[in-house]
Amino acid sequence: MDELTREFLIESQEGLDRMERCLTDLEERPHDTELLADIFRSVHTIKGTTGFLGFRRLEKLAHAGENLLGLLRDGKLSANQSIITGLLQLMDSLRGILRTIELQNNEGEAEDAHLDAALIARLRELQHPEAAAITLSGRGQFAEAEPPVQLAHPASRTSPPAIPDPETAPSPAVPEAPAATPEQSPETGKPKAAASDSTLRVDVVLLNRMMNLVGELVLTRNQILQATALDPNFTMLSRRLDMVTADLRESVMKARMQPVSNVFSKFPRIVRDLSQLLNRKVRLVMEGQETELDKSLLEAIKDPLTHAVRNSLDHGIEMPEVRAAAGKDPEGTLKLRAYQEGSHVLIEVSDDGAGIGVERVRNKAIERGLITPQRAAQLGERDLLQLIFLPGFSTAEAITNVSGRGVGMDVVRTNVEKIGGKVEIDSRPGQGTTLRLRIPLTLAIIPALIVRSLGQSFALPQGALSELVHIAPEQAATVIEWLEGTPLYRLRGQLLPLIFLDGLLSPGLQSTRLAALSPAEEFLPQRDQFIAVLDADGRRYGLVVDGLADPEEIVVKPLSTVLKSIGIYSGATVLGSGDLALILDPGSIATRAGIAMGKVDVQVGAAMEDEEEAATGSRYLLVEAGQRRAAVPLDDVIRIERIAFSRVEYIGHRPVLNFQGQLLPIEDSAGVLASASGDPAAEIIVVVCREGNRQVGIAVSHVLDVGAGGELFEAGSQQPASGVTLLNDHVTGIVDLGAIQPLPIAAHAEPGHHSE
Amino acid sequence: MSTRSAAKSSLALRKAASAPVMLEMCSVRVGATLFGVPITHILEIVGNTRPQAVPLAPEFVGGLVHYRGDVLTTVSLRQLLGLPAKNPDREPGNNTQGADTRHDILVLESSGGCFGLLVDSVGEVLTVSSADHEPNPSTLEGRRSALFAGAYKLPQGLLVMLDPEQLDPMRLGATAA
Repeated sequence: MDELTREFLIESQEGLDRMERCLTDLEERPHDTELLADIFRSVHTIKGTTGFLGFRRLEKLAHAGENLLGLLRDGKLSANQSIITGLLQLMDSLRGILRTIELQNNEGEAEDAHLDAALIARLRELQHPEAAAITLSGRGQFAEAEPPVQLAHPASRTSPPAIPDPETAPSPAVPEAPAATPEQSPETGKPKAAASDSTLRVDVVLLNRMMNLVGELVLTRNQILQATALDPNFTMLSRRLDMVTADLRESVMKARMQPVSNVFSKFPRIVRDLSQLLNRKVRLVMEGQETELDKSLLEAIKDPLTHAVRNSLDHGIEMPEVRAAAGKDPEGTLKLRAYQEGSHVLIEVSDDGAGIGVERVRNKAIERGLITPQRAAQLGERDLLQLIFLPGFSTAEAITNVSGRGVGMDVVRTNVEKIGGKVEIDSRPGQGTTLRLRIPLTLAIIPALIVRSLGQSFALPQGALSELVHIAPEQAATVIEWLEGTPLYRLRGQLLPLIFLDGLLSPGLQSTRLAALSPAEEFLPQRDQFIAVLDADGRRYGLVVDGLADPEEIVVKPLSTVLKSIGIYSGATVLGSGDLALILDPGSIATRAGIAMGKVDVQVGAAMEDEEEAATGSRYLLVEAGQRRAAVPLDDVIRIERIAFSRVEYIGHRPVLNFQGQLLPIEDSAGVLASASGDPAAEIIVVVCREGNRQVGIAVSHVLDVGAGGELFEAGSQQPASGVTLLNDHVTGIVDLGAIQPLPIAAHAEPGHHSE
Repeated sequence: MSTRSAAKSSLALRKAASAPVMLEMCSVRVGATLFGVPITHILEIVGNTRPQAVPLAPEFVGGLVHYRGDVLTTVSLRQLLGLPAKNPDREPGNNTQGADTRHDILVLESSGGCFGLLVDSVGEVLTVSSADHEPNPSTLEGRRSALFAGAYKLPQGLLVMLDPEQLDPMRLGATAA
């Protein structure tokens, strides 16, 4: 393909994109003469160039568009919904032909010529407003339209329509008023004028190469820094090299940044078309479009965002009548917001629709076999919402072609996590839903801690690293506790599950270690060890490694899919020493080792549950509350939460905790809360338990252990003493959860009883 | 003429009609066998490198090497063919042969991207004639029949042809044996 044609293709694509934005703006401001002039000019330019290059199809279509636009520009015609739709169809048609030219180097005449004729006839028709109002049977090359009555309840189709034909949509009461009125926030109201002279178009391949080179420079700098660290002659030069490299790196990364408006700009059109198709009234608000993100990241979030928007329109925002009946504005609002927070860019898609029905989610998940009913019963509201991210989930009653094929949200999450981001969801029934994408700003260079295991170096991203603990060989036996094959470490009163990195990477080593586990102490190696306390999305655990090295800023190099699919590596890097190191993925390691969300004791409890309880009797969670020891039946323990004291609220005298949307009464006969009340920054430990149909909390000073309790018998009888057990040879009171008073239903306070 | 000899002579005519094409192959040695890779697929030959082991990687992975700014995955031809390791002292659980010793690596390019082929030693570039090419014997089965693209008869023995597309770690990972 020659240069001229290539240039033409690029410029025309850009022009078409701009025109699409102009057209959706025009729908809102049909008499904006500047907009009209701009659009007319663009079509005119395309027509001219296509004629010159000999693209006849394009020329004919552009000509038909130009005629219609001329009438609009001259004020002889007013832009209404049908006209805008027709012109948008023209844009799509032109875009399609441009794509064909790109692939085949010709316009692809024969097959689609008749569709061109139909479109041209349509455009000609639109020049006469009376004709346009007449409902015509479906036509146009994209509309695989269905009869109007079915659009209200879209049935499943095998192929998605690109754009619905407006004639087949139930025509709005007032033909002139558009059903969707997309709106843009003032800063970005007008689409940008033609590119100013101070910018340059750069080939993406070249930019990628620059990124690679900068990466190499960073690595070489690291190596030089290491090699010259001790030589005074070099320190000055090394430091300068360091500064220059850092600057260069920042500049190149900046060069790759683009404003999110590049992605957001597609949405006015999408929202317009979808809301017409789905019969919703939607107002689109976009904020923070100037927020910048690396080009490749922008590419990656395009699809997830589109899916999120579709979801909002399809499942979130209700039909106007439903909204009105609920006292809401019949016009729903869809907000796209981008902003920077620290080292991340956050992109929110929020609607003021019906919210996500948590019960429906729970039931669907159980129905699809994605979760057991027992587990579902344990989940709080926030965790239940997370179920929508499971593969194979969809609550759509009828799977519409717009969304709800059951592949949606898990693909969104996968795509976002692939670029190192996270997806969060927040929903309030009746009020709306917000989906938040959290995307890391810098792509390829991250600070990492280098650790050693199995004689190799590995890199641990600092982002997940919370602290480091050193274990001397003589300490290992006492400080690492084993609970049914799970190693644990007590970190300031909390039990931290441990994963031995060498055992994870070398299953042979792990099985030898576990096989002869009693007594456990024999299998801890007689050397120094280190625990890297990691936090991967709320899953906290300690990774045990043999050695630590200096932290380094590493360049993340991608791994081939074969190695990526192992799951625990997120990439590779070259260290300052010249060696290659694999980059560990804390989240995947946690998953692989079976560490669940929430605090460790849930998992410990699960391990316990799998065991036969036979010989040793029931198991208890041993706690210290004030000066006393108490035991809670482990089966009843749901979670152990460390919370800020400030979160404790009071109803009358009763302390309660707002926990996952529930009000939890807190039992505090030991006065733990009282001792914490002086210090606003204090944290207390609350053991959340299940008691019948409700959940209650117990305030404790420390969680000590999990142990098996033997029954104590009342002196002189064979009856088991109620409420007391023998734990670790101490007489220990069992907390009677049932005796914890329920909260008063009425708002006024009742003098509370503290139960024993 | 009988039909068989007619067929034979027309075959002979056909063979003679297409002039033998000369191809250049890079020879590599693994164990006792000489293998050949078309030089058109070879980007570079990197000698004397110690690849970095990847714990838990599939058996055929030889490790990682740093090559021109990228981290390449290498395939160990020895492990691929199921031959015993050159270095018998391997750590338990460490399946990458390359970890301890230095190797020669062919950097190959296939439709899936670049990767390295770990071999015992790299030999010379040989020019072979298509006339000397023999297809895989029907006795060859499993992985070998997929990897080998026939052989060339050379004075010094057989040069077994390897198909770079089949050696690509992504392909190997997908069709895990």
